[in-house]
Amino acid sequence: MNGNDTVSTDVLIIGGGPSGLATAIRLADILKQTGRNNRILLIEKGREIGSHILSGAVIKPLVFKELLPDVNLSEIPFNSEVTKDTTILLGEKGFIALPFHVPYMSNKGNYVASLGQVCRYLAIKAQEKGVEIYTGFAIDEILYKDGKVIGAKTKDTGIDHHGQKLENFQPGTRIEARITVFAEGTRGSLTKMLIAKFNLNKDRNEQVYSLGCKELWVVPPGNIKPGEIYHTMGYPLDNDEFGGGFIYGLNDNKVAVGLVVGLDYQDPSFDVHDAFQIWKASSFVSKILKGGKMVEYGAKTLPEGGYYAIPKLYTDNAIIVGDSAGLVAMPALKGVHLAVRSGMLAAQTAADALSRNDTSEKSLQQYETLVNNSSIYKEMYVVRNFRQGFAKGLIAGGLLFGTQLITGGAGFFGRLRSHADYQTTLKLSELKKKPFKERFKGKLEFDKVLTFDKSTDVYHSGVYHDEDQVVHLHIKDMEKFNAVNIEEYGAPEQFFCSSEVYELHVDKAGHKEIRIHAENCMHCKTCDIKSPGDNITWVVPNGGNGPDFQNM
Amino acid sequence: MALTIISLIKQVPLPSEMRMGEDGLMDRTKAKSIINIDCSFGLEAGLQLKKQYPDARLIVCSMGPKSFENSLRTAVSMGYDEAYLLSDRKLGGSDTYATGLAISTMLKHLGFTKDSKEPFIILAGRQTSDGDTAHVPSQVAEKIGIPQATFVESVKADGAGNVIAKRIIEGGYQILKLPIPCVISLTPTGIPPRKPSLSGAIKARNLQITTFGIDDIGLGTEKIGINGSPTIVVKVVNIVSERPPIVMSEGHNEAALVDSLIVNLKKGGNVLEKKEKVDKKEIEYPDFPDKDFRNGARGILTWAELTNGKISRPSLELLTPARNLANQLGNDTKVMTLIIGKNVKPFAQTLIEHGSDEVIIVENEKLEEYLVMPFSSVIAQVIKERNPEIALFAATTSGRELAPRIGMKTDSGVTADCTGLEIGEYIDKKEKVIYKPILESRRPTYGESKLATILGFVCPQISTARAGTFEVPVVVEGRKGIVSYFNPVLEDKDFVVEIVKTERGEGGLQNLFSADIIITGGRGTTGDNLALIKSLAAELKKQGVNAEWASSRPVVDEGVAEYARQVGQTGKTIRPKIYVAVGVSGAIQHIAGMKESEKIIAIDHNPKAHIFNYADFGIVGEYTDIVPELIERVKAGFKFGIEAKKN
Ligand SMILES: Cc1cc2nc3c(=O)[nH]c(=O)nc-3n(C[C@H](O)[C@H](O)[C@H](O)COP(=O)(O)OP(=O)(O)OC[C@H]3O[C@@H](n4cnc5c(N)ncnc54)[C@H](O)[C@@H]3O)c2cc1C
Repeated sequence: MNGNDTVSTDVLIIGGGPSGLATAIRLADILKQTGRNNRILLIEKGREIGSHILSGAVIKPLVFKELLPDVNLSEIPFNSEVTKDTTILLGEKGFIALPFHVPYMSNKGNYVASLGQVCRYLAIKAQEKGVEIYTGFAIDEILYKDGKVIGAKTKDTGIDHHGQKLENFQPGTRIEARITVFAEGTRGSLTKMLIAKFNLNKDRNEQVYSLGCKELWVVPPGNIKPGEIYHTMGYPLDNDEFGGGFIYGLNDNKVAVGLVVGLDYQDPSFDVHDAFQIWKASSFVSKILKGGKMVEYGAKTLPEGGYYAIPKLYTDNAIIVGDSAGLVAMPALKGVHLAVRSGMLAAQTAADALSRNDTSEKSLQQYETLVNNSSIYKEMYVVRNFRQGFAKGLIAGGLLFGTQLITGGAGFFGRLRSHADYQTTLKLSELKKKPFKERFKGKLEFDKVLTFDKSTDVYHSGVYHDEDQVVHLHIKDMEKFNAVNIEEYGAPEQFFCSSEVYELHVDKAGHKEIRIHAENCMHCKTCDIKSPGDNITWVVPNGGNGPDFQNM
Repeated sequence: MALTIISLIKQVPLPSEMRMGEDGLMDRTKAKSIINIDCSFGLEAGLQLKKQYPDARLIVCSMGPKSFENSLRTAVSMGYDEAYLLSDRKLGGSDTYATGLAISTMLKHLGFTKDSKEPFIILAGRQTSDGDTAHVPSQVAEKIGIPQATFVESVKADGAGNVIAKRIIEGGYQILKLPIPCVISLTPTGIPPRKPSLSGAIKARNLQITTFGIDDIGLGTEKIGINGSPTIVVKVVNIVSERPPIVMSEGHNEAALVDSLIVNLKKGGNVLEKKEKVDKKEIEYPDFPDKDFRNGARGILTWAELTNGKISRPSLELLTPARNLANQLGNDTKVMTLIIGKNVKPFAQTLIEHGSDEVIIVENEKLEEYLVMPFSSVIAQVIKERNPEIALFAATTSGRELAPRIGMKTDSGVTADCTGLEIGEYIDKKEKVIYKPILESRRPTYGESKLATILGFVCPQISTARAGTFEVPVVVEGRKGIVSYFNPVLEDKDFVVEIVKTERGEGGLQNLFSADIIITGGRGTTGDNLALIKSLAAELKKQGVNAEWASSRPVVDEGVAEYARQVGQTGKTIRPKIYVAVGVSGAIQHIAGMKESEKIIAIDHNPKAHIFNYADFGIVGEYTDIVPELIERVKAGFKFGIEAKKN
């Protein structure tokens, strides 16, 4: 079409989470301090900033002081300071409060918060500093010239199911940028393409992920205090399933509860959402929720591969930050402060590169150097084999983790390898233990008061997708899907999906087919990670589609 | 000269049927507002015209508070070039008359007059979701003095300086050819509004919106705002939804799901918990003198509309409230009915037998077919001569555009789509008088969630009455009345719009009105061109049930079903005993057209489909699984609990 459909900017930031917003804020500050006037464009696919943000979250606040030196911490909408922090070894009916903290899990001085709210605040700050933020636009294409990134393009809209242009077709906008910052969060759909194209994960471990399902509740006064937090280990997870629950007391009688489970589990019928419901029904958790009301549901994955799974973080004209770069500190599952830190370092790098007028790979290598000299490296390197150790099971993992601490992270093996999560699922015929449904027989009837089926939960996410668009979940090879995913694995998609997108339909004749209800999609990206044979690609749907989280 | 396309938009609170989250704890949409849906279709129509006129200038205008800038910016992010806002405290409380006046004054100020050299097309939404009147486009057209087409689904330019508009009428459509300049109002059934583009959003952010106050455009205060408006809303009460929560079928395959439906149907569904009504407080009755504001205006005028060579049913229905009002007014108040056309005299006696005291006949070759410009002119001339205190129109697609256009000529306000018309009084505490007698017009508003009572203070008090609300009066054979003739002045300028084609499928429409079961296929069922839907209806017929099939708007758009079978078109409400919606997402228009059905069954693969909020029974499943199963059951004798016709 006409030239109107191309815009240019100095820096394009894809994603309005903590990493993208920190990049924007820091960059705007540096540019101002050095008297420069460069354009910073930040694009977010959620309807608004925060619509797609979901986290725990217990946040380490220190880095925010550095990001916003002029701001009093109390101005940032952290919900409450952590007042009581307990680790629980959970059973169905009983529990043991551990008398100590798992190393690296202490939360003294940290805050509980809705990360969505914090992001909305950061977005206001960024805009005050001159950053242009546009929400409700999905970026689905990286632009290249001579094999180098030169920006990205927003998704075309007004397209029917088959990809045909409708009369209200609206072409996407090309954004030409000197530097593009990939801040898409966990399993970024463009970051994935970037990593593949430039082989940025050469010689690195496969990235591995956990899926977290979360609900926000309002409970009667007295059930839990603001700042009172619990992490649970054990029930309902088996030894070979890695993960745990969290219960974070918030102001106004709200409480955030969630269960996070490593996606390297083996049982093809394992269902994190349902496990989460079972977890809530345990005596310890149900007591806290008693008399309350669920107000919001959401789910999201987070990268847990640790130090050895971090890809190369830059290429010509491009930088990766935050979860997209795999910057999450284990075992505490904390990524927010690292996302912010990486954004600040990316901003420094971008500012220097712009002033050198050299945004080449060589110039941007500065980012890696900065990361390696920062707290990111320090926090991630000591526990570099944590998660891989746990792949061997809780007990062995615990032992390994202990030895790692003694040996400074090296453990017994130097560097433990990991498999991609889609490879760890067993076929139905290979599964030795009881499948999920049998294991929790009798516990899967959800009462819609304390426990909810997926549809009810999904309803509480505000999710919406336009009807007119190509289904954004692509099965790469349908034949293989039918023969392998359905027949051999029993369609694990229907179970691992956090929001009832995949339905295995069996008709009267016994014929099976997978049906995709893309309109429910929570953007958690689990299907892109866990589908056996790596057979599903998650592409970004129309801008403004997806959940509409308020306080997640 | 390049064409200018002007879109008029209004920002409205998110309609209740589009809201999510059922508790006060998390009203996701609190205070959120959107571009009125119909207006956004108008915006898209402008963008479509731009394809034909690449150098057209696209401007968007609105009237309202500063917060309306949001919607203006959205329009720009979709592809519009300039934005204007008329914003003035003094406009607060304006009714549609005052709004039409203010907007047309702004447009004239911007240089868009009937004599302007620069060609322009004004696009608007058919009606707004918070007002539902559909008046403003007609009023703007009348005030600027240019032709109009309302209830239009699509517009094209013909390349010879005309606009070709597809206008929706009862049971069909009409193709109209209009000269430029003209006003077109769009129904939300055409091409849906496109999404903003990023480049557009960037442009919108930096755009300077031109804002006018009334002084800037030379508009006085006499006829605007709460005090200048000819009508006022005196009372609004909530209409409680009558439908209890849905019962969903349970089961792991189609056989089990259908079993479950049959059981649920037998059980009879959920029961609505009726809330206790609060007793009305007695209003104090002050001791003010009465004021007769009618200035000698007397009598009730109605217009008898002809469709397919017959008096349309809604025009006969209209005689029920007319007669009733005349009786309430007493003093020998007359009901006069105007009939316009070619050779219409033979209808006079029918009208008299239905309750008219006088039939005024206007016969002219040129008036054979209804067109809003000459008809509004003729009716206004009759009003001038006869000076009625009340003028009533059926709220058909014609009535709803005629009434506001006439109201603009007589400076009357208009109350649209009324379901109740009574004579009452109005206590004016400021003036310390009681206006009496006065017409109280009651109408549902805010997507049928509230009932408003509206009064007009300028005669004739004009209202349109919703079709299907009042009964056709009992015929009194041999009733006597006066038949008189009126000779209007006809001007060539009123005959510039050409009817290219009229398509009315009365048959299908009537069948839908009388069917006991209607099976409707939505967009989700077009995979087999509605074959399954049709065979379910056919199978029921075989069983002796009075069943029909219908479809939703997108299916008609795709050409899979004829227009007469569309549920959810303007002015058509069907009330079968059983309504089965299959693969219907539940667009607002559709819901409005079927929600008065006795029992509603919804079948859709999307458990969150909007339709489920309006149904009594629901099945989540693929239509290709469920419908064949239903057909099997019907073959085996299942009739949704409906008795077969005895013959
Ligand atoms: C259940 C759970 C609990 C957690 N608990 C904690 C905790 O207690 N403490 C802690 O510190 N960390 C926690 N984390 C991790 C933390 O939330 C993340 O590390 C952090 O949010 C990462 O920030 P980010 O900016 O990289 O990505 P995100 O916060 O995910 O933001 C990415 C943004 O980019 C947008 N985006 C993505 N792709 C596109 C595209 N193509 N076009 C446009 N926009 C796009 C997304 O919509 C999103 O808004 C938790 C995570 C989960 C899932």
